[in-house]
Amino acid sequence: MTSADLANRWDSLIEPGRVHGSLYTDPDIYAAELERIWYRTWVYVGHVSEVPEPNDYVLKSIGPQPVIMSRDKQGQIHLLLNRCSHRANLVCDAQKGNSSAFRCPYHGWTFSNTGKLLGYPFNSGYDGTALKSELGLGRVARVASYQGFVFGSFAQDGPTLEEHLGAATDAFDRLVRLSPTGEVELTAGWLKHKVKANWKMLVENETDGYHPQFVHASIFSVADSGIGELYGDKSVAVCRDLGNGHTENDLRPEFRRLDQPLGWFGTDPAKVPGYVDQLTAVHGDNTREILIDGSPHVMVFPNLFIAEIQLFVIQPLAVDETVQHVTAVQYKGSPDMNRRMLQQTIGSVGPAGFLLADDSEMYERNQRGVHARTPEWLTIKRGLHRERRDENDHVIGDATDEVPQRAIWKHYRSLMEGQ
Amino acid sequence: MAGERVPLGELSSEFASVQLTIDHDGNGPRLRIEDLRTGHVGFLDPLELETLAWLPEGALHKLLDPSLLRWRGDA
Repeated sequence: MTSADLANRWDSLIEPGRVHGSLYTDPDIYAAELERIWYRTWVYVGHVSEVPEPNDYVLKSIGPQPVIMSRDKQGQIHLLLNRCSHRANLVCDAQKGNSSAFRCPYHGWTFSNTGKLLGYPFNSGYDGTALKSELGLGRVARVASYQGFVFGSFAQDGPTLEEHLGAATDAFDRLVRLSPTGEVELTAGWLKHKVKANWKMLVENETDGYHPQFVHASIFSVADSGIGELYGDKSVAVCRDLGNGHTENDLRPEFRRLDQPLGWFGTDPAKVPGYVDQLTAVHGDNTREILIDGSPHVMVFPNLFIAEIQLFVIQPLAVDETVQHVTAVQYKGSPDMNRRMLQQTIGSVGPAGFLLADDSEMYERNQRGVHARTPEWLTIKRGLHRERRDENDHVIGDATDEVPQRAIWKHYRSLMEGQ
Repeated sequence: MAGERVPLGELSSEFASVQLTIDHDGNGPRLRIEDLRTGHVGFLDPLELETLAWLPEGALHKLLDPSLLRWRGDA
């Protein structure tokens, strides 16, 4: 297919104000997405706090690809493919562990935690040890981290992680700034929510400011929460295109108008005095402003959603099947705040939580609905007439506008058209 | 004390399970390691253990080649 053919193809599927329904249902498009997005661009894999000690490892993924994230004795982090180089068995099965070497259970082939093949039983059957230098574990070509968040890219060349993250680096900086030690830890454990829906429905929803007052009305009512109003027509919050497919619901303007430290967290400084003291010791007079601005609400394309006090990792498994891995953010060394963040996470996205259950219901209804023959298109025009640029030249819109969805599709198209 | 065994505990990963005991059957203490999957037992004395503590990165990996000792190709 020539580049002109490719452009024509995407012209017929993606327009500035609408996208074709087949983008969510066509297995061929999903297969192309794996090659052009998931196996090429930077994808979030894990956090350094998940492998704190030498020889720690944890099982992760890049889309459907099984990945072992290991820390070797020198402290370097590796992303290895969980596939024995002999007959393709999973080398590791436990979700996490500590081992300098991995032994495949099928025929006993043994690998170092850096991916090197250490040996195999009865080596005379291979005429000695010649294979050892050839058959290490597969590895993710590039590994890089930002503020402890580890990303991998299967592409040998391409933009650096920081170039890929671009303006989204600010979200990570703001997140760790709320930790008195400047570090977050992902040590609270993970919940997995599987939905029968295309992965892009989740990505688009994470920074969709139009749905909370409808989809989440029940939890906002039960919890007497003011979150819904942040996404109302009177809110001064904005949504933002951060570039490279990264998008944001920036609630800071609304929080500043309300002028309530920790209001974004639904509490006040008197409830967590230890945490506030810790933060004040680091940030001094700036602490109040930091506590008012709160934590970011940013979708880092294609799979990491920083949702204030939680992180969501999106993992596509099929064109109509996606897993959302969820954990509570933990500030290193702040037990009082961490306990509250964990409790809120359990309440909102835990097994009996309301928030993610509401969203999941919408994802699956969406996936069923998009199979209807007409209309063939999904409309993403909300706020198109009132788009504007902020002081950093980013396109922004009102709180309920669809600037993020247009930004995601614009970047998606650039990746899918690329050679 | 001869005959005394001080259990230290069991260490398991998805790759191996061993029972560790301080053994006093000899003239000096030694670490008794039992491979719980096969029942095979090995011992390490304090000097050997100290040497292990000083092993450089990867030195033990040579011994982790299954063909070297346990599943020898020429056996």
